Amino acid sequence: MIFWEIAKRNLRIHMLRSTLAMLGIVIGVVAIASMGILGNSMVATVSESLSSVGDSVIVSPYSGGGGMGPGGGGGGGSSANLKLSDQQFQQIKRAVAPNVAIPVLSTSERMKVGVGSDDIVATIYGVDSQYIPDLNLKLTAGDYNNGNSGCLVGSTFAKDNNIKVGSRISIGSDGEKGTLRVTGIIEERGMAFDLSTDSAIVATQDWFDNTYNRNDYDQVIVKVKEGQDTAVVKTTIEKQMNKRDKIVSVTDSKATLASIYATFGTITTFVSAIGGISMVVAGVSIFNIMMMSVSERIKEIGIMRSIGTQKKEVMSMFIYEAAIIGVIGSVVGGILSILAGYAISALMLGTTKYLITTANALSVGEGVCFGIVICLACGIYPAWQAANLNPIDALRHE
Amino acid sequence: MGDIMQPAIQFEDVVKIYPLKSGDVMALNHISFEVQRGEFISIMGPSGSGKSTLLTLMGCLDKPTSGSISMSGVPIRDMSDIELTSLRRDRIGFIFQYFNLFPLLNVIENVSFPQMLKSGVNEARAREVLRAVQLDEKLYTHTPMELSGGQQQRVAVARALINDPDILLCDEPTGNLDSKTGASIMELMTELNKNGATIIVVTHDTTVANYTNRTIRIVDGCIAS
Repeated sequence: MIFWEIAKRNLRIHMLRSTLAMLGIVIGVVAIASMGILGNSMVATVSESLSSVGDSVIVSPYSGGGGMGPGGGGGGGSSANLKLSDQQFQQIKRAVAPNVAIPVLSTSERMKVGVGSDDIVATIYGVDSQYIPDLNLKLTAGDYNNGNSGCLVGSTFAKDNNIKVGSRISIGSDGEKGTLRVTGIIEERGMAFDLSTDSAIVATQDWFDNTYNRNDYDQVIVKVKEGQDTAVVKTTIEKQMNKRDKIVSVTDSKATLASIYATFGTITTFVSAIGGISMVVAGVSIFNIMMMSVSERIKEIGIMRSIGTQKKEVMSMFIYEAAIIGVIGSVVGGILSILAGYAISALMLGTTKYLITTANALSVGEGVCFGIVICLACGIYPAWQAANLNPIDALRHE
Repeated sequence: MGDIMQPAIQFEDVVKIYPLKSGDVMALNHISFEVQRGEFISIMGPSGSGKSTLLTLMGCLDKPTSGSISMSGVPIRDMSDIELTSLRRDRIGFIFQYFNLFPLLNVIENVSFPQMLKSGVNEARAREVLRAVQLDEKLYTHTPMELSGGQQQRVAVARALINDPDILLCDEPTGNLDSKTGASIMELMTELNKNGATIIVVTHDTTVANYTNRTIRIVDGCIAS
């Protein structure tokens, strides 16, 4: 392995040049891998808040075109006026059985928390108490609604308004729509397809019906049981409800999730590709250094060739140099990219709990492999040129 | 490969033309000669006479434009680059005016280099040839930059001998040495020749030529005598 030894010694004798070349690769690998880690961590963070509702199908009144209105009424109208009738809910319920169909009412309302406080505006959901367990609303304090005037509040709403279990909320500008007593605080859920409860109130359906004199629904959430396909449930509802005219819009949360993941994947690839530009620059630098190395050693190559060194052996010597730069630079870059990924995730996402994942390991692996491949690719032409020098011309070179 | 009864080198009607933009240059003009095994020959001639071209052809670094060159009876015309390189490695030893040692390798590694290309490291063999060229053992781990010109040329001779070649080709071996060191190198060559080595020395120094048994004079690409 004399050529391996010569390659090592040549890099050592040009330590500064070799280190700078490696630094380029280190930067390139860090750029690619840390961007990959950031993208993966973003996906993981979003996934955590979305995956819990990945088994839902959301049915809402169709707001586009001139379809039948809610309750069999005609005309399109604005989406704010569109509702689902109890009859339509029952149709949906029968179509999706044995999956659970949950009717949901909602409105935006002014309210006061405590005496003398300013009016605030928040969403109030009306859900029958029997369906609360199906919605998977976990509580951080208190209990589920007991009685007609009890309610649950989202964690952000509770925090912002200093609400505790037992607090009372006056609904309406002057409390004309009654008072709700907080019986429980819902754990933070993040972004959700079904109920966005973090900044909202969940009251009972009876209270909602009585307060707003409602006998229709804003949406129906179908919780699809394990082992059943959300896409099939969606199709079943569409077939049942949109036979003649399009009455309802049906959203499959799993398909939406897949679409979101695909979008994040594209963003991650794009960001990593931008990081790849620095790798290309590093590759050009390696190419330049290898060409310099060849031009400085033309005489040496001539001597080697004249005393019986084959072309492939000369080539291997320069490939070894590129490989050493590539492997050391890429491995160091891989290690640093984990640290960079840690720092970026902590700063941008506020958490580092998604750092040690298979996807991140793959991102680092890809960055390292890309660095090595770039180095080898950029070393091939100079090595080929060295191997194909005319021995006589090379020997005469000064 | 080759027949030991055949001449070490045989040139038959060899022509070498370098095509240049300004017109073709005939470096060697229908040259024929033989070098028998065990001969010690000098090739002399003025600058531009074709000495270096003759050396590159004898060293299988180039092929003739026409005519035939045989090494131990084997013509080189149809040999591939790989075969010619192997021939140089196994059967020809080169000694250059400027020593041409590898600066990154120490003495032992420099001497072992052609052997490593052929069959791997045998440090005992490297030490044997270094003793044969009378290099102080303390210098074996030194790099070329730490040696004098005479010591470097002894290392170069040892490197040329390591694979036990049929022919030693020397290009002005004393050209970069003082007269005393040059004389000691030529005495070393004479000693090697007495032990059976075939040696061809390209020089324009008559003192060097005086060590050899035969001199081929080249003028304008032709053998003058």
